Amino acid sequence: MSDTVVLTLATAPAHTLVADCIVADRFASLDARAIGELPVLHGGRRARLGDFFTVTGERSTSLRIEGDLERVEGVGTGMAGGEMLIAGNVGPDLGLAMEGGRIDVHGSAGENAGGARPGASRGMAGGEIVIRGDAGARAGAGARRGLIVVTGNAGPRTGRAMIAGTVVVFGSTAAGAGRFLKRGSIVALGAIECPATFRYACTYQPPHVPVLLRYLRARYGLAVEDRHIAGRYERHSGDLAELGKGEILHWVAE
Amino acid sequence: MKINGVAIDDTFAEAFTMRVARLIITGRNPKWARAAAVKLTGFATSVIGCKCEAGIERELPESATPDGRPGVSVLFLTMDKESLPQQLIVRIGQTVLTCPTTACFDGLPDVPDRLAVGKALRVFGDGFQASKVIGGKRYWRLPVMEGEFLVEETFGMQKGVGGGNFLILAGDVDAALAAAEAAVLAMTDLPGVILPFPGGVVRSGSKVGSKRYRNMIATTNDAFDPTLRAITESRVPAGVNSVLEIVLDGTDAPAIEAAMQAGIRAACRPGVQGITAGNYGGKLGPHHFHLRKIMA
Repeated sequence: MSDTVVLTLATAPAHTLVADCIVADRFASLDARAIGELPVLHGGRRARLGDFFTVTGERSTSLRIEGDLERVEGVGTGMAGGEMLIAGNVGPDLGLAMEGGRIDVHGSAGENAGGARPGASRGMAGGEIVIRGDAGARAGAGARRGLIVVTGNAGPRTGRAMIAGTVVVFGSTAAGAGRFLKRGSIVALGAIECPATFRYACTYQPPHVPVLLRYLRARYGLAVEDRHIAGRYERHSGDLAELGKGEILHWVAE
Repeated sequence: MKINGVAIDDTFAEAFTMRVARLIITGRNPKWARAAAVKLTGFATSVIGCKCEAGIERELPESATPDGRPGVSVLFLTMDKESLPQQLIVRIGQTVLTCPTTACFDGLPDVPDRLAVGKALRVFGDGFQASKVIGGKRYWRLPVMEGEFLVEETFGMQKGVGGGNFLILAGDVDAALAAAEAAVLAMTDLPGVILPFPGGVVRSGSKVGSKRYRNMIATTNDAFDPTLRAITESRVPAGVNSVLEIVLDGTDAPAIEAAMQAGIRAACRPGVQGITAGNYGGKLGPHHFHLRKIMA
């Protein structure tokens, strides 16, 4: 058993690499050889994780991945616990339908981070994903619980059809955020365009936002500004075409 | 044993095991945090009549609260497990929920025994409430006319100690009061301790039961009433004309001991003849605080 399992990208994939076997809590009982034998799909063909990554360490729920993973899909799918640090960019479907644990991306992430499996209505049901860069489209789509933080900009349809949970975007959020939201919160510190099916409620200081932002500052060391902690937010309720108990909280002033 | 010429009686304070919760109340500024805490801890001097004992433990700076606002730490004690959540739900619902700008957090996050206080209070939101999980803790957001009230879903409950005490025996009420005030000042803001009585001081110490009224569970402590010295088995020494008691509740015995030490030392001042303590012969309470041992 080691403190951390380290996966280092040794052979860059020539095609899309579906590596939904990279799940922190799954490595708890596996030695380095077994981790390397885990199945992946490279360009639709079967391969082994060890064909692309060197594995250091064994039997740990703490995982570090190094290398450019922009072509690697499905990392952290169904993750239920443990901690995963990705030192670089990562591809689509990060933390797909995850249920617990923490994923910390020191880079940008592709589409559908924390989203649902194909055909499923529910995305992540717990855990935390921190993306220290930009997020692709549909981050947090269909989320049932959990937290997604994007320190850069978020792509189109962020938080689409969320059932609950929270998405925090430090930068700007592209169009279509919160469409079909049932419950759940999108906290936008930067620019955001609310869908027409959202209705403005009030401008106030949501008391949980300082708790949340201070937690992000303390737990992840994120550069949260005091003006966002102490600031006022516009509350837009929606999606009124759905249950309407969700919200977009848009920071407007100190 | 004497401290500053004040005799320390060779006796002990007898205290009981209680159940304790710690609440962190924050507000827009110290004024509003304290306003809620004062109301919350009102009429909570003794379990004899109030069913709970509560007090302000200390004021907290912005850096020590979950939401970065000024706060007040409150300890809340009852005799049994069942009544603590009942008291908290009723009192938080009527005093903190109602107070502008406040939020209410658990001050014993690592304690495994959890009370579903916020979970019960959430129904005030009439279905419009929302929960948020932050760092593994669930919070409830209740919509209110001012904005939102934030309360943690559960609060920790642990065993505490109630009924630590010492008595100040003085030549007159002025000296007794000055000594009591000095003792309270010395104990204020000590961690893990509250003084649940008005200003931290009790003038009407009680004994168990009654010599005359069958249905009374507590009546005046006639042994320490100076006015009854001539007609009871008095324990008021000659020259003593006023007695005041300090009662302490806390999270554990060491906290009570530390506070008693500070308080007694501060109370040993001119005009005070002795310091003693109340007990029941050691048969009722498991916690015994021996004065001379504490002050040694």
